[in-house]
Amino acid sequence: MDSTKPLEHDDTIIKLEHISKTFIVEDGEARVIEQIDLEIRENEFLVIFGAGQCGKTTLLKILSGLESLTEGKVYIDGKAKSRFDPRVGMVYQTTALFPWLTVMGNVEFGPKTRGMGKRERQKKAQYYIDLVGLTGYERHFPSMLSGGMCQRVGIARAYCNDPEIILMDEPFGHLDAQTRYMMEEEVEKIWDREKRTVVFVTNNIEEALYLADRIIILTECPSTVLKEYQIDFPRPRSLVSPEFLALREEISALVELREGVVV
Amino acid sequence: MTVRQWISDDTKETWIYGILGFLLFLMVWQMACVFTDFGTIFPSPGVSIRTFFMAFIEPIGRYTLLGHISISLKRVLIGYGLSSVAGIIIGLLMGYSKMAHAIIYPIFCIVRPIPGIAWIPLAILWIGIGESTIYFIIFMGGFSQMVMNTMDGAQHISPELVGVAKVLGAKENQIFRKIVLPSSVPYIFTGLQTSLSTSWMAVLAAEMITAREGAGWLILSGMQTGRIENNVIGMISIGAVGLLLAALLRETERRLCIWTVRSR
Amino acid sequence: MICGKRYWEYSSSTTTYIRMMAVSDSVIGSRLPSSQGRTLKEKTRYILISVASLVLFIVIWDLASRTGIISAKKLPVPSKLFETFLYKLTNKNPDGNTLGIHIWTSLQEALIGFFFGITIGVPLGISMAWFRKFDKLFSPLFDLIKPIPPVGWVPIMITFFGIGIMSKVSVIFIASFIPAVINSYSGIKQTRDVHTWVAQTFGASRSQVLFTVAIPSAAPMIFTGARVALNGSWVSLVAAELIASTKGLGYMIQTARLVGRIDVVFVGVLVIGVFGAILMEGLSYLERRFVKGGRR
Ligand SMILES: Nc1ncnc2c1ncn2[C@@H]1O[C@H](COP(=O)(O)OP(=O)(O)OP(=O)(O)O)[C@@H](O)[C@H]1O
Ligand SMILES: [Mg+2]
Repeated sequence: MDSTKPLEHDDTIIKLEHISKTFIVEDGEARVIEQIDLEIRENEFLVIFGAGQCGKTTLLKILSGLESLTEGKVYIDGKAKSRFDPRVGMVYQTTALFPWLTVMGNVEFGPKTRGMGKRERQKKAQYYIDLVGLTGYERHFPSMLSGGMCQRVGIARAYCNDPEIILMDEPFGHLDAQTRYMMEEEVEKIWDREKRTVVFVTNNIEEALYLADRIIILTECPSTVLKEYQIDFPRPRSLVSPEFLALREEISALVELREGVVV
Repeated sequence: MTVRQWISDDTKETWIYGILGFLLFLMVWQMACVFTDFGTIFPSPGVSIRTFFMAFIEPIGRYTLLGHISISLKRVLIGYGLSSVAGIIIGLLMGYSKMAHAIIYPIFCIVRPIPGIAWIPLAILWIGIGESTIYFIIFMGGFSQMVMNTMDGAQHISPELVGVAKVLGAKENQIFRKIVLPSSVPYIFTGLQTSLSTSWMAVLAAEMITAREGAGWLILSGMQTGRIENNVIGMISIGAVGLLLAALLRETERRLCIWTVRSR
Repeated sequence: MICGKRYWEYSSSTTTYIRMMAVSDSVIGSRLPSSQGRTLKEKTRYILISVASLVLFIVIWDLASRTGIISAKKLPVPSKLFETFLYKLTNKNPDGNTLGIHIWTSLQEALIGFFFGITIGVPLGISMAWFRKFDKLFSPLFDLIKPIPPVGWVPIMITFFGIGIMSKVSVIFIASFIPAVINSYSGIKQTRDVHTWVAQTFGASRSQVLFTVAIPSAAPMIFTGARVALNGSWVSLVAAELIASTKGLGYMIQTARLVGRIDVVFVGVLVIGVFGAILMEGLSYLERRFVKGGRR
């Protein structure tokens, strides 16, 4: 129990302490994440915003256990996090569905591996399939679905495993604008109904502002926290309200300025 | 409406040209038999067709045509079945476990480039002449391909999907059954297809050299007794059965791998 | 068999597709956490295990036959094989020719048949794919002879050409002709649409499209066909020589079997394997040299 740490906020669910990640590449080392300190609060919608290739995916992979840490520590509920913690689920940047399983098979994968009975897990999977609006597609294979539908399956699969924290890695990066808006609304709705902590990674300011309770802005690679914004606009948000546009201007300016300095 | 019409026009054309091509072939064959020396050693189309149907009732050697074919078929299915099972197991093992790969692969590499047919003399010296020799030859014919394809499949597992499964809570021992096995299935089927055609090759060669019945024997005896028409009908029937088996396998694959691109 | 890994791409165009999926998945996919420092050490460990496994294999073989667990008549000791190999290099017993002559005969037959099979098969496949009438006229006929294993042709060819080199060459011709046609056919069919549209928007004529777009983009597939063809050639060559001939590696092992010289059979079988592998490697080398952009 020596890994227990006093919590700063009593609603902190994940705490990152001086996290760093260095990849060993052919010609030496590549520092991708530099000393990130972060607290993620229960049931919040946290958006991590950063430019392309700045290490967003790497950060999420560290949280999910797919990538190891070079330095620092991650705590969940005050205890050091184990490698693949069942309390963490993830939605991926690319369509990472199992192509040989149907929509139902994909969604029930988590409960099935944990040994849940067939009846029970299928009922549960059905609930989440309905929730993401894929009722009627249970028997379809991923190769028969569009990109947006595949991401819906990915979201349902993550939720169906009952994690407390859901990591979403630019889930809509590959979708067309129209589908993207729709999916953003959908994700907000699901978050509202299912009240879990969501850590959402994006490189789209509008998306970030539309969804976030809090935005963490990362610097270029090696990335560290540049600035943090608490967003208190009422939901559902309007993309054209003056405050919204003002904040958007401010963040763009900040990011562009940063990039200017770097170049 | 127009689309349907277009399709039917197209199929009509396919049939017409197909039949035309076939008739052309028969004509050239017939003419060659009538007008050249070809006819002195090779049967005409008419004789071949007659022999073909006669062979269903009149035995050639010890069996009728159907008898010979079913003997070959039985041999292929046994040898091929054994080699597929063994090939899949060893292939999965080598593809999944680096340790197994390190141990088995160097020895396998000695065997791999040797054609199944080249094992015939060795097999005869080892086992003697008999059914098990033929099974062994067919086994060796398909084995390496089965291993290579299955191994390829098991090695081409997407590490991303393995990660996904682990995040969803799959334990190391579940990865094999839930990820490695299903993603190898298309590769296994490719192996089954290629290995089926080499198995046919192997059974023919083995029967030509060691057997006194079967399609291979039929073909060879045609040459030895100067009755080339037996040879011709043997080839036709083995081609037909091979085609049938391959189609059967493809259908099974289509059912089992609905999820691959093929189905679209 | 000989070419192993890529051999299967032959069976149909769709399998290539599956392979593409698999490759792209692993490219996009995150590499799993690997403590990269360990990999080098791990590699050497596995190499050591491989060497040990091979050594153990040979030791067991040696012991088994030396102690008589398996009689030396069935399994000669490994060192004996090496002696026999050297002996066969210069000695004509028991089959009338030295090993070199047998190898040379077999290679000659295989390569001549293969050469003609490819040079006739590839153009035929391309024109069948490119000209619709041609396709409709010949496809059904071709489908008819396609499933007949090349070995089946051996007796007919012997009847026509005797047991000399011609009968073997023609069997090998058939063995390589068929995959050459199939693969160039599906190669062209497969790469037709998108590339041709692009070329046509640039105003290319039909024949220009064929030579500048269709054939180059079908090249990898055609080479796969060549690989299958070469493999098939080698297999049917051995079969043909086993059944009837007076020279060649297949003949050598068959004669050795008849006189009970198992050591010569062993040497012959291994030499067949080695030369098969060498031929395939040669073809892969040519492919790497000539197919730019590589296989997918
Ligand atoms: N396994 C790895 N080995 C070596 N380098 C890596 C590895 N994974 C990621 N990188 C490098 O780390 C950097 C950050 O990658 P990452 O995928 O985390 O960025 P990202 O912010 O998610 O980018 P994008 O916006 O394109 O999704 C990149 O330069 C990448 O090349
Ligand atoms: Mg990313």
